[in-house]
Amino acid sequence: MKKKLLKFSFNKALFLIWLIIFFGIAIKSPSFLTAPYIINVMLRNIVEIGMVALPMTLIIITGGIDLSVGNTMILSAMLGGIAYTRWGTAAAILVTLLTGAACGLLNGIIIAKAKISAMVTTLATMYLFLGLARGISKGDSIYSYGFAEFLGNISISGLPIQIWLYIILAVIFTLLLGKSIFGRKLYGIGLNINATKYSGVNTDRMLILIYTLCGIICAIAAFIFLGRFTSVKYDAGTSFNLKVITIVVLGGTSIMGGVGDMKGTILGTLIIATLNSGLTVMNIPIDVQTIVQGIVLIIALIACAVVTERSKKKRIIKVDTGEGIKSETA
Amino acid sequence: MNEKKKKASFLTTEFYLAIFLVVVLLLLGVLAKDFYSINNMMSLLNTFSYILISAIGMNMIIITSNIDVSTGALISVVCLFTAALGKAGVPFAGLLPAAMLMGAALSTLNGLFITKMKIPAIVATLATTQIFQGVLPLLVEGSIYDLPQSFTWLAFEAKIFGIIPASVLICLIVTVIALIFMKYSKFSKKIYAIGNNANGARLAGVNVNRTVVITYAIAGALFGISAIIIATAGQRVTNTMGTGLEMTFIAAVVLGGTSTAGGSGKIIGTVIGAFILAMIAPAINYLGISPNWSDAVKGAIIIISVVVSGAKYLKKKRVIPAEKLAKAGGEAS
Repeated sequence: MKKKLLKFSFNKALFLIWLIIFFGIAIKSPSFLTAPYIINVMLRNIVEIGMVALPMTLIIITGGIDLSVGNTMILSAMLGGIAYTRWGTAAAILVTLLTGAACGLLNGIIIAKAKISAMVTTLATMYLFLGLARGISKGDSIYSYGFAEFLGNISISGLPIQIWLYIILAVIFTLLLGKSIFGRKLYGIGLNINATKYSGVNTDRMLILIYTLCGIICAIAAFIFLGRFTSVKYDAGTSFNLKVITIVVLGGTSIMGGVGDMKGTILGTLIIATLNSGLTVMNIPIDVQTIVQGIVLIIALIACAVVTERSKKKRIIKVDTGEGIKSETA
Repeated sequence: MNEKKKKASFLTTEFYLAIFLVVVLLLLGVLAKDFYSINNMMSLLNTFSYILISAIGMNMIIITSNIDVSTGALISVVCLFTAALGKAGVPFAGLLPAAMLMGAALSTLNGLFITKMKIPAIVATLATTQIFQGVLPLLVEGSIYDLPQSFTWLAFEAKIFGIIPASVLICLIVTVIALIFMKYSKFSKKIYAIGNNANGARLAGVNVNRTVVITYAIAGALFGISAIIIATAGQRVTNTMGTGLEMTFIAAVVLGGTSTAGGSGKIIGTVIGAFILAMIAPAINYLGISPNWSDAVKGAIIIISVVVSGAKYLKKKRVIPAEKLAKAGGEAS
């Protein structure tokens, strides 16, 4: 009961931070508050990152991490683009989705079956996917095609299609994590993977499933990314990985696993989107924006640490045993 | 008895790596003779030097079961800092300590965030990465160029016997000190203890927070040395010189058999890991394969070596009775 209250208050604090940033910027520069700016600049620029942050939340809640998402996205966009020039649109869609799923599956199998820590695995696959994208494209750019442009540039009833897509995915993931047995199992894995395993959850399969899911979402983001930028080079996804993790962590999901929720991630996405576009509209150079982002992240982390510290005092024994077991298996 | 077995199995992890390295080197000798040309070997040794120096620092951090993903940005900052000093005419004897101090100061900042604020290392250094990266372009617009000869002294004039770059000597000194330090010093035992069980170490009287901060500071000084090797390679220092290097360092450490869970890992393994990573790009080049494939090869090598060493760990863990454990250990070694 106590824990729930505290977590709720962290989300509320995030919401408050977002409101302050949003209206602070709006007062400083009124052109920010116009609907086209908010939709076309603020929201559209964050969609891919926000979209991948959804499955990333699931992964981080299980105590894992995926550093290869950006490279998965670029590799699937690349193979899809090559498939389009050879076999047409249907093949391109299929190849993109399959590539994403295969990349996620590879991560999942190594992490779950070979018991290699998620960070090491995805660090290695990050190099692998980056290298494959570079080797296959021979360093050239891949250009956008009909379907990707459709996902990247078309609006339906005022909102660009990728925002609709994001909203649908956000609702699905919120329900998946918050209201389903699947979601409860994920929290269980994050808090104590051995106990969860012995209470009858097939933890290996769960892990493989969420990493594959993450790969598929990366592939969907790949269409949008390609459509929005019209051409993509092999190294376009390198800074993407850490941006996604920043959003998830900003949303109050603990990197240690077991704590966090989807609403926090969505709020984190909004905060970063508002900051990026708001500081641009205020003519603040991009470098200062990076600093501001870093500082916001640190503030959120400290706030989160304070909240968890307070709740930890209530259940010291529980937390300690959890950590002990995790460090053994990790 | 048990201790002995454990030691023996650790040796074999590095032993396999070394065998792999020797086989690859022999194959290169047969397939690509130009690989052993003096020029290539010297540039390879230079790359190897700065990867290894930083990887040793990263290894210490990872042994405490922390991590540092801000290293690349930190090295960029130190590169620019030393370039600014070099432009003012400071000789190498002044640049080196300045770079080490700067690296240590920035890295201490990371350590303080992690210990005092209780932020997990990976996210804390993620945040400082953004701050370092954001500060860089504010300090310098694009790059510092037209650097004087005194600045590039290390890369162009300081050669041992006229050919071997001086960075190799620095690297050798650092490695030997690190080997002795990690084997015999009291401080290194604390580092291993914290990595194995931070609470246990604290109860045994180790000041965990202070040890972690000092570890970060030492690692930062090593990053500073790497930065100066990277910066002095040319007459122009840009603000992206270290970008992405952190992943290479972590990869070298992981390849060398250090577990990211902390508490284990040896410098020798890191040396071999760093050499393999430094070797991949020139090896691929001299084998006549397009350099575009070098990252893929790097990733594949890391995955395979990590999975192979992980499989051995799994086998060990599954056996519970003590006698069987001893037996399995005997078979493995």
